[in-house]
Amino acid sequence: MSQQISRNPLRPGKSKTVIFFAALILATLLWLAPVITLILTALKDAGDFAVNGAFSLPKFIRWANFSEAWETGVKNYFWNSVIVTGFKVPIGIVLESMAAFALSHMHFKWADRVFTYILIGLIVPTQMTLVPLTLLMNALNLIDTLTGLTILYIGFGVPFGVLVMRGFFRTLPVAIIEAARIDGCSWFKIFYRIALPLALPAVVSLCILDGVATWNEFILAQIFLRSDELRTLPLGLVQFSTQFSTQYDQLAAAVLISVAPIVLVFLFFQRYFVAGMGGAVK
Amino acid sequence: MASEKTPTLAPRTSPSAKKSDDSLRFLPWLFLAPSLVIYTIVVVYPMVYSSYLSLFRWDGVAPTKTFVGLDNYGILLTQNDVFWIALKNNAIWLVAALLLPTSIGLGLAILLNSRFRGSHIFRSVFYFPSVLSLAVVGLIWTWIYHPDLGLLNQVLSAMGLKALTRNWLSDPDVALYPVIIAATWNAVGLPMLLYLAGLQTIPEELHEAAMVEGARPSQRFIYITFPLLRETTLVVLAITAINALKAYDIIYAMTNGGPANRTQLLSTWMYFLTYNYNQVGLGTAIAVVLFSLTLIFAIPYIRFMTRKT
Repeated sequence: MSQQISRNPLRPGKSKTVIFFAALILATLLWLAPVITLILTALKDAGDFAVNGAFSLPKFIRWANFSEAWETGVKNYFWNSVIVTGFKVPIGIVLESMAAFALSHMHFKWADRVFTYILIGLIVPTQMTLVPLTLLMNALNLIDTLTGLTILYIGFGVPFGVLVMRGFFRTLPVAIIEAARIDGCSWFKIFYRIALPLALPAVVSLCILDGVATWNEFILAQIFLRSDELRTLPLGLVQFSTQFSTQYDQLAAAVLISVAPIVLVFLFFQRYFVAGMGGAVK
Repeated sequence: MASEKTPTLAPRTSPSAKKSDDSLRFLPWLFLAPSLVIYTIVVVYPMVYSSYLSLFRWDGVAPTKTFVGLDNYGILLTQNDVFWIALKNNAIWLVAALLLPTSIGLGLAILLNSRFRGSHIFRSVFYFPSVLSLAVVGLIWTWIYHPDLGLLNQVLSAMGLKALTRNWLSDPDVALYPVIIAATWNAVGLPMLLYLAGLQTIPEELHEAAMVEGARPSQRFIYITFPLLRETTLVVLAITAINALKAYDIIYAMTNGGPANRTQLLSTWMYFLTYNYNQVGLGTAIAVVLFSLTLIFAIPYIRFMTRKT
């Protein structure tokens, strides 16, 4: 295993290389078996699935699975997820960057204590907040509304967002900020004219990580959305699976539709996943 | 920037700096206010209020709550069998999470750290399950474990191991383990990513020097790579432990705590007690227990995160 620490595994000789790649490709296939099963199931006719099981090539490709799943309810779930993610992510990032900027560049006495206070949110199990949040949301008439859910998501997103943005802001040279100060630039102007544009890579990373997390969130949606037409995708899919437990073809199609946006984002913006996680640890 | 306008570097005591010092008394709070307000209302206040509620007997509806002190914790420890099942399951889950995704992630990171043709494709492949929601991961793996049509039983039968086939998610003795495997599939990506980042910081010269001295690959791993990954390992262990204790959606999607409550975790049992059985006091008490367990791993982690400031 540690053989490959050396810069290039192609060096130690042909046979080793062949074994290395064969093992890697085998591991990859094994790793992707669940995904392959999912795709094969989604393309299949229900009868074909019942006879031949999941892991066989479809007798013919049945695209109608996708349109049927879409019409059976996935359409609603999908747009609800788009709405919640579309509002949560930009609003969250503006708030989190402002806070992170204050914590990293506006040297004030309480910065460390406030940052620690915010970090606590990273470790709080959601269960710890459910009952009081239920009472609160009830009192505010926000149960079973996408607005209420979005507000909760913004609150829960603060710790990670501040962590990532602060990690990036700290790498900005203090000289730039000081120069702007000396020129009489106000802090607000420094924030949105200098710091934020320079932080664009971090903003993109956070957008993606946060977007994926919001798209995938389950427990808050489960507790605070009650009616079927408001469900977001993860919740809707689990519901779909209990209602149509035998229609594996449609369910698989529904799952594929729900992960499609995530897969696209992942394929196009991969390096930002790495950058974002790196920012969170630094 | 536009600093050429001011030919001399203003010392810290210049009028402008003085002015900024004054404004910095309240201005940072203005920047922080929106985040702090919403975070306090949505996360911190409920957390404190939950701890308080765990001292009462309450059904969540009645106008009055009865103060019972620590009785709810006593009831959980002495009269609630499922609490112990859940606690044991959490412990098993935690051990598995500290061993499996971390070691697999480290192994993959070492394999894929070398830049050969296509290495980034393999990285993406092994990271991919981490971007899926746990609800979706649960649904996908439910098919793998399907008693008749699932891939696992089909493969076992094809290999002549039909005796090993079973209804994986309905067998009370084993049901937890297939769920843990599915969760591991999702959890490998993050350790791999963090270890890859950690490996980048190890200077190549160290390995070259060791190779010149005749160190075997295994020796280089034990004496160079692993010690230098100590910090990364601490972060990886803390994050996987914290995430493991948060596990919830995947249980809900795969077994819903069954069969016969044998796959309940503290997180799911909290939901059942609170929302299905209206035992708000017991439910919040479980949440407090879960949070206390998290703190064991989280306190060193938070110390680490804030130490450089």
